[in-house]
Amino acid sequence: MPIIKNVLEDYYDAVFDTNRDKALDVIQKAREKGVLPEDIVFEVVVPAIERMLSDLTTSHDATLAQHFICSKVSAEVTDAMVPLFRQEQIGRGTVILGTARGDFHGLGKKIVGGCLKANMFVVEDLGINVTPEKFVDEAQRLSAGVIGVSSMMVHSAKGDDGARGVRKLLDQNNLQEKIKLVVGGAPYRFDSHLYESVGADGWADNAIEAVKIIDTLMK
Amino acid sequence: MPINANQRFNALMQGEIPDRVPVVCNLFEQGARELGMSIETYYSRGEYVAQGQIKLQEKYGYDNIWGTHYTAQDCEMLGSKKTIFVEDGPPNVGHLILRSEKDIERLTIDESLLETKPFLELLKTIEIIKREKGDQCPVLSAVIASFSMPPILMGMDKWLDLLLTGSVKIRNLLLKKCSDFCIMKTKALFNAGVDMVSYSNPVATASFLSLEQFKTMALPWINRDINTLGPQGIVYFNGGGLLNPMIDTIIENTGVGAVYIHPMDDIRQAKEIIGGRALLAASINDIPLIKWSNDDIDREVKRIMDAGKEGGGFIFGTLSMPFGISHDKIKTMLEAAVRYGQY
Repeated sequence: MPIIKNVLEDYYDAVFDTNRDKALDVIQKAREKGVLPEDIVFEVVVPAIERMLSDLTTSHDATLAQHFICSKVSAEVTDAMVPLFRQEQIGRGTVILGTARGDFHGLGKKIVGGCLKANMFVVEDLGINVTPEKFVDEAQRLSAGVIGVSSMMVHSAKGDDGARGVRKLLDQNNLQEKIKLVVGGAPYRFDSHLYESVGADGWADNAIEAVKIIDTLMK
Repeated sequence: MPINANQRFNALMQGEIPDRVPVVCNLFEQGARELGMSIETYYSRGEYVAQGQIKLQEKYGYDNIWGTHYTAQDCEMLGSKKTIFVEDGPPNVGHLILRSEKDIERLTIDESLLETKPFLELLKTIEIIKREKGDQCPVLSAVIASFSMPPILMGMDKWLDLLLTGSVKIRNLLLKKCSDFCIMKTKALFNAGVDMVSYSNPVATASFLSLEQFKTMALPWINRDINTLGPQGIVYFNGGGLLNPMIDTIIENTGVGAVYIHPMDDIRQAKEIIGGRALLAASINDIPLIKWSNDDIDREVKRIMDAGKEGGGFIFGTLSMPFGISHDKIKTMLEAAVRYGQY
């Protein structure tokens, strides 16, 4: 499928250059040439995300701007393509995302949400400053398999109103097997064991790794 | 006779080797704990912050004193109606003032902002600490670079959206207003008597942007922010992102006298890039200080000193020390910095 290969290369270059308009133009032109919506998502968007992970881990030079555009465009393209699929896809599960209570930083969570959507997860983004009760209530209401709690600040990462509070509620309600807890954000990057001390089942250093960890926890 | 912190910094700035590496310690909300009050009460009056900062400096003996409050205070000056205070961390912006292009157009930057209560309280703090401690140690304050100010006015995701995919005209309008604010506040801080201003620019670091993006998008605004008043007394602070790839361009374009790098930046590499053109401040990774043992802290301080102190021109620093770091850990870190920083 050389045409798909070319589309992937052009799309990836555009995302890497943080050029959203060019990336969307590549997709538009591919559609005009008859590339199927399923192939756009599974042969272009998802491999582009995978490649960004690879570039990140081998060269360490991917920036937050690149992550942001990759996530944003991935979500936009996926949202546009999925209704055009010939067969309905089997979803990979529902993920509840939000930033911990007392924390108003929403960027990381937003990037994770975009990458998850492109990978066929249903994402419910609760926004910023979310209480542990709301995380757990929404997870139960939507039968989510994973709660993702983002924190940019040490006190919101370690405090009882953040992931630790969610863990407590999950344990109190015997939901620990049904709903897994993942965390992310700067404090976890500075201290790679912090996730264990707040009772999370896993953490991710970036949005693309988050997809892999959430996928593993869902299984 | 031992020299004081002012003399230590002066020696450094004149290219001399002082008695030891100066130590900058960024303790902010910890001042509330010293006074036995909540963080919200602490920040309600400039006098409290001054007392708290003086107590902290005298208790630990580091080489600076902070004449600054918290980042969200800039938003309050610009009309933000809500700041969220917590018991164990810095205050957060609870009301983003820019929600539309119209809001950006309506945003007004003028000298009346310097008459708002938040800024007047800050001036009180500076006046007291300058009077009480100014003859002994440099008074530092802080501004946010124009390029990194929009996230606290509109949210980081909205800012990246505007920056990378939005209208260039609106983006430049916003950055011009943020730059005007930055310049005005910097000037007012120096007029109030601070010795150094930390210019914090997290969005213009290698964690967010490629070097090419930095040069085309951020650099023109950095030049405007700094060069309008001149680089005297400006410390270019990483703000939480990797800085090494940008250092050469920053020094070449602004002539700033000090660059304050991120804990994940390579200290030896930074020193090589700077090549004696500016002072280098290196940060310890202060989040793990919460749980590190005294031996861990000692080892890490030694590593930083070994990498940076040779030949002078070097400052040991921290990022924003989390509230959860115990007194003993702070003391251990600072004692190690004095011990390993000796020349």
